Amino acid sequence: MLGDIITPDLFASAFRMATPLALAAIGGTICERSGVVNIALEGIMLTGAFFGTAAVLATGSPWFGVLMAMVAGVVISAIHAFASVNLKADQVVSGTAINLLALGVTGFLMERWYGHPGTTDPIKTLGPILRLTAEGGGFLGEVWRWVNGIFLTHTPIVYITVLIAIFAQWAIYNTRWGLRLRAMGEHPRAVDTVGVNVYRGRWVAVLMSGALAGLAGANLTIEQVGSFTENMTNGRGFIALAANIFGRWTALGSYGASLLFGLADGLQIKLQILRDVIRIPPQFFLMLPYVLTVVVLAGVIGRAVAPAAVGEPYEKKG
Amino acid sequence: MSDSREGLPAQRRWMTVLQKVGTPLVSAALAVLVGSIIIWASGYDAGAAFAALFKGSLGGPKQIGDTILRAIPLIFTGLAVGYGFRAGLFNIGAEGQLFLGGLAAAWLGVVLAGLPWIIVVPIMIIASALAGAAWAFIPAILKARIGAHEVITTMMFTYIGRYLVSWLVIGPLKAPGQIPQTVAIPPEAQLPRIQELFSAGTLEALPFLQLGRAHLGIVVAVLMAVLVWVILKYTTLGYENRAVGFNPWASETAGISVQWTTVKALCISGALAGLAGSVEVMGVHHRLFDQFSSGFGFTGIAVALLAKNHPIGVIPAALLFGALSAGAGTMQFEADVPQKIILIIQALVIFFVAAEEIVLWFVRRRQKEAMSHAG
Repeated sequence: MLGDIITPDLFASAFRMATPLALAAIGGTICERSGVVNIALEGIMLTGAFFGTAAVLATGSPWFGVLMAMVAGVVISAIHAFASVNLKADQVVSGTAINLLALGVTGFLMERWYGHPGTTDPIKTLGPILRLTAEGGGFLGEVWRWVNGIFLTHTPIVYITVLIAIFAQWAIYNTRWGLRLRAMGEHPRAVDTVGVNVYRGRWVAVLMSGALAGLAGANLTIEQVGSFTENMTNGRGFIALAANIFGRWTALGSYGASLLFGLADGLQIKLQILRDVIRIPPQFFLMLPYVLTVVVLAGVIGRAVAPAAVGEPYEKKG
Repeated sequence: MSDSREGLPAQRRWMTVLQKVGTPLVSAALAVLVGSIIIWASGYDAGAAFAALFKGSLGGPKQIGDTILRAIPLIFTGLAVGYGFRAGLFNIGAEGQLFLGGLAAAWLGVVLAGLPWIIVVPIMIIASALAGAAWAFIPAILKARIGAHEVITTMMFTYIGRYLVSWLVIGPLKAPGQIPQTVAIPPEAQLPRIQELFSAGTLEALPFLQLGRAHLGIVVAVLMAVLVWVILKYTTLGYENRAVGFNPWASETAGISVQWTTVKALCISGALAGLAGSVEVMGVHHRLFDQFSSGFGFTGIAVALLAKNHPIGVIPAALLFGALSAGAGTMQFEADVPQKIILIIQALVIFFVAAEEIVLWFVRRRQKEAMSHAG
């Protein structure tokens, strides 16, 4: 039975499931490092998922859909940037408004454009980049089957996400932009004093998180599901926030934490398939990612320290 | 110069009054305005849409009853979110606590069948408050002890609670038959409709009492709003709640336990949200099923913010959102505008209340005009 659960496919699905979480979590990392809380990741992801799908339905091009998902993410996150940076609004409340707005706009346009609520028609998806055969016997054949199964069967955004995680980690700690970003979240007044535009820096960070969360939405619809369903993000934006905290506000940490959640999700799906053997109601498996999020938050905080100025609007003086 | 200096205190007082009542009104008006621009820009007839919206929410006693019906749970969730806000806590998970409250009411209503209503109804109401509080307890402890953000934890508990209820109505608590729902609670466990309290003759004579589905829960809701107001204004509990929300460090220095106040605040918030679940079960559906709440917990956030977290202000704010939600169906039916527009208007209300600067800009401009006229 264990052999039915522990398969290459389980770990492959961990990478798949981790991808939207990781993209949003890295977006959250960048945004919070600049000093802006972004609980709107959920809504931005949903917006990206919808407009990505709509673009594919209109043009038949999945890559154009990916692009439009990111553009939509940037556009809706601009509202959050404007509210948080320029209007000094409560960032958590502004994020809540965007989550609701995303739910409303996607549902509204769904009915306006497609004439019905619920789920869109299926779209052309992005398939795996490589399609290698996993044949061959013996020990080496078995190793190849695992390596191929876990790492080489993925769709483009899954790999792009790994690259983004590595690049963001490097950029946050090794570039001038990264230094300024981190300083803005710790002590914006000091950054301002040396002539860096905090407003612009925070705007850029929020828009970047919007692009990443939009890309996460594209991964959900254009690579994983193949259609859009209302409210399909199902709390992933909030789990991504927890992943960012668990990853201690670093890009690679966010990716690692997302992998953990992805593995739990993959396990949950595997166990559901075996529900005739293990007689536990499926709802308990569906709860698993949310329970895990609470457990992870309970275990990690106190040791993880948020950027000092996160959530505080910055008021330029003079 | 001397004129403006003398005018300043009065003007400032006017500003604060205006900010208290004016900004919510302007926010709501702006949200409806932007909403109608969206309706118009999407190619619908905005005039017909608002006519239908009005007709469906205030067009007659039955429609007004529908508005009240939908405002009842919103008063509770608005109070819940607002009470949390007053302690500096954002209970985004009122929806989950509402589900647990509904569960407690639906279960006890059936278990206690046979007992008179004077015993059953209070037990159900208290139990649903306790269930809501219990669902907020772990997030509260995590917040107080280690600072885990209540936005994430209460949201996670909302999903967990919804799956729990979805399992119970399919599994252990399922009524016989095809539909996944619980057994209906007996009449003595239900909150009666307002029009059922009057004789047919009275209703004939006073047609404005024919409030359709509106039920006695509105009385409970208004009483609860007054109670929360009294607690916040006149009790130590409420004082500590406000003090911690205002400045936790100063409160701690003054000898208030911030941790304990946080736990109490989030649990009371959860209890209020739990009550929303019980009135929905006792007054509307008389049973529990998967979709028994149409996001009342989330709308409660908009209600609380529009009310500026004031318990009495929650009542008109809830009535506004109740009216929008009651009219949405008619709007979809008669003007073809998707009901989802209501979610957009809710989001805009939250946005405008949060981004007070936009609203204040309008207010200040009005003021400047007034002053330049005076000068």
